Amino acid sequence: MSTQHSKAAKQFLKNQTYAHWHDATFWAVRSKRDNMAYGLDEWEQLREKASAIKRHTITHLDEYLDQFATAAEKNGAEVHWAKDAQEFNEIVYGILKSHNVKKMVKSKSMLTEECEMNPYLEERGIEVVETDLGERIIQLKGQKPSHIVMPAIHLNHDDVGELFEEKGISNEKGNHDPTYLTYRARLSLRNEFLTADAGMTGGNFGIAETGDIVVCTNEGNADMSTSCPKLHIAAIGLEKVIPNYDCLAVFQRMLCRAGTGQPTTTYTSHFRKARPTAHHMHIILVDNGRSDWIANPEHWESLKCIRCGSCMNTCPVYRRSGGYSYSYFIPGPIGINLGMLRDPQKHSGNVSACTLCLSCQTVCPVKLNLGDQIYQWRQQLDDFGTANPQKKLMCRAMSMVYGSPGLYNLATALAHWANYIPSPIMNCGLNPWADGHKMMQFPKKPFHEIIKDIER
Amino acid sequence: MASKEDILKKYRSNIRIQYDMPDLSDIQAVTYPNPLLQFMNMTKSVGGNAIEVEAGRDINELIRELFPDAKEIASNLPEITIATRNPDEVGRARDLNGTDVGIIRGSFGVAENACVWIPQTMKEKAVCFISENLIILLSKSQIVNNMHEAYARLSAEANSQEQFATPHSVPLGQRIAKSFEKYGYGTFISGPSKTADIAQVLVMGAQAARSATVLLLPE
Repeated sequence: MSTQHSKAAKQFLKNQTYAHWHDATFWAVRSKRDNMAYGLDEWEQLREKASAIKRHTITHLDEYLDQFATAAEKNGAEVHWAKDAQEFNEIVYGILKSHNVKKMVKSKSMLTEECEMNPYLEERGIEVVETDLGERIIQLKGQKPSHIVMPAIHLNHDDVGELFEEKGISNEKGNHDPTYLTYRARLSLRNEFLTADAGMTGGNFGIAETGDIVVCTNEGNADMSTSCPKLHIAAIGLEKVIPNYDCLAVFQRMLCRAGTGQPTTTYTSHFRKARPTAHHMHIILVDNGRSDWIANPEHWESLKCIRCGSCMNTCPVYRRSGGYSYSYFIPGPIGINLGMLRDPQKHSGNVSACTLCLSCQTVCPVKLNLGDQIYQWRQQLDDFGTANPQKKLMCRAMSMVYGSPGLYNLATALAHWANYIPSPIMNCGLNPWADGHKMMQFPKKPFHEIIKDIER
Repeated sequence: MASKEDILKKYRSNIRIQYDMPDLSDIQAVTYPNPLLQFMNMTKSVGGNAIEVEAGRDINELIRELFPDAKEIASNLPEITIATRNPDEVGRARDLNGTDVGIIRGSFGVAENACVWIPQTMKEKAVCFISENLIILLSKSQIVNNMHEAYARLSAEANSQEQFATPHSVPLGQRIAKSFEKYGYGTFISGPSKTADIAQVLVMGAQAARSATVLLLPE
């Protein structure tokens, strides 16, 4: 009866030491978030406002996108529109080719993961260098991110140390001190920044009123990526556009407090025009499903997400199963929901990765009802043809028993005979209940009988 | 290729219900009895350094004392006489690599999170990031409480139609903000570049400045 997620989680849990570290690390991030949230009297008010701004914005997004594009063009940027991943990749390649770009540095962008841009460009002979340290590590390792904000969280300092030795980034063998390794990566990436022909950034926000692309980083890699190369391409999903600076203030205050428990990221950068010594800036607005999702009556609010990562940090299932246990490239509660919007047939296995504790929607800075939505997805599995046949059979049998008082009473009266079945038979692999559970003991006297005795 | 119109039309026709914009004027945002003190404390807690400069103190001398070993100093500020390179005059941005200390000016600070607004006021903004150590000059009277006040200030400056024919007659903060319009780039900086991407251990100095010092200047 195991889902794809629970099978993968079993692999993750084989290394108990690491699994404990993973759990404790994310719980510490969650605690830091709590300190930030409790430190502001207006925190809950900000969440209300953030949710209301997002609801308004994504239900008027056509107007704000138009306003954004007009403002950005007035600033001198060239605005492109991509309906899907394929078009997005073609547009990026087209721009790079027209400038004869051989190497591009880029800052973190989940959108480019979504569109699988890096392999597309690499197949066409363009070198893409990730410059967020975590992204760079997994790029060198040939892996995918396991968290949207902390992409290399599944590796420890020894893993990174050995990787850097192998790639010639560090030269002191056996020195796996994070400070040393970070310094070696700095030197290596510095060289990439200086020699790249183009820089690409994602964007945390697009501002409709001014045409700004706003990028938040701690490392300064988005700014480095755009400071030396002569070409800047910014790529954002449609839903990243918000109305104005007053709205931005609300989100800027919440993004990092919720995500990593810091009062702000080190850099909150506003890109409005290219540098005077660079080519004009390109902005690519990507739909790739978003214009369909807004029509979904139960799940359109997933478009409110600002990708802070707080739902995965708090999720008891994410903390104990890791990012690679999910089939969609974004893990955790938000990833479960986005994966189902993307392709329910492919990603139904993730909806079991939820205890419905609703911790995610309690911490979500934009009050996205993540857990409620996961519950709703589960109700639709039969429609997608992804419901588990064993569970369906059990449900049918249970509704028969619970629907007939005679059958129910007979079953509870006879249940205690099951206690006499020898344990090896009861707790074997054929009984799905016994997987991770101990079989319960049935009482000799059913509850109904006990109540009747007391009443007598 | 999809056109803007196709995407917008499809999105518009798929909207099922519409919500109003909330009123943001009633946000009860945090304020501080002493914003300057809060700004200085926050700067330290994000790994930066904040120094109140006494009236009459020689800035160049102070910077020399802070970074006695610095060889390459980059700045385009007229009051910085110890600069060895100028971000307005370098041939290519990459020529600023190897800068030991970069000195730039911020227009205002934010008490709640130690952000300093740095509009681009130089030809190559690389100086703000490529320098090993960053020094930000900031007038100590220019501290706002929180990001709502910060963005309200930027909005007001962007919307003011006033042209500064005699730039020295207007306050320095406003003069700097106007240049955001000119270069079209600005950033809030709070402390040094940092990362915790290797095993969640916090390390200062990821890809940009390894240290950040705010010199709080008297009026």
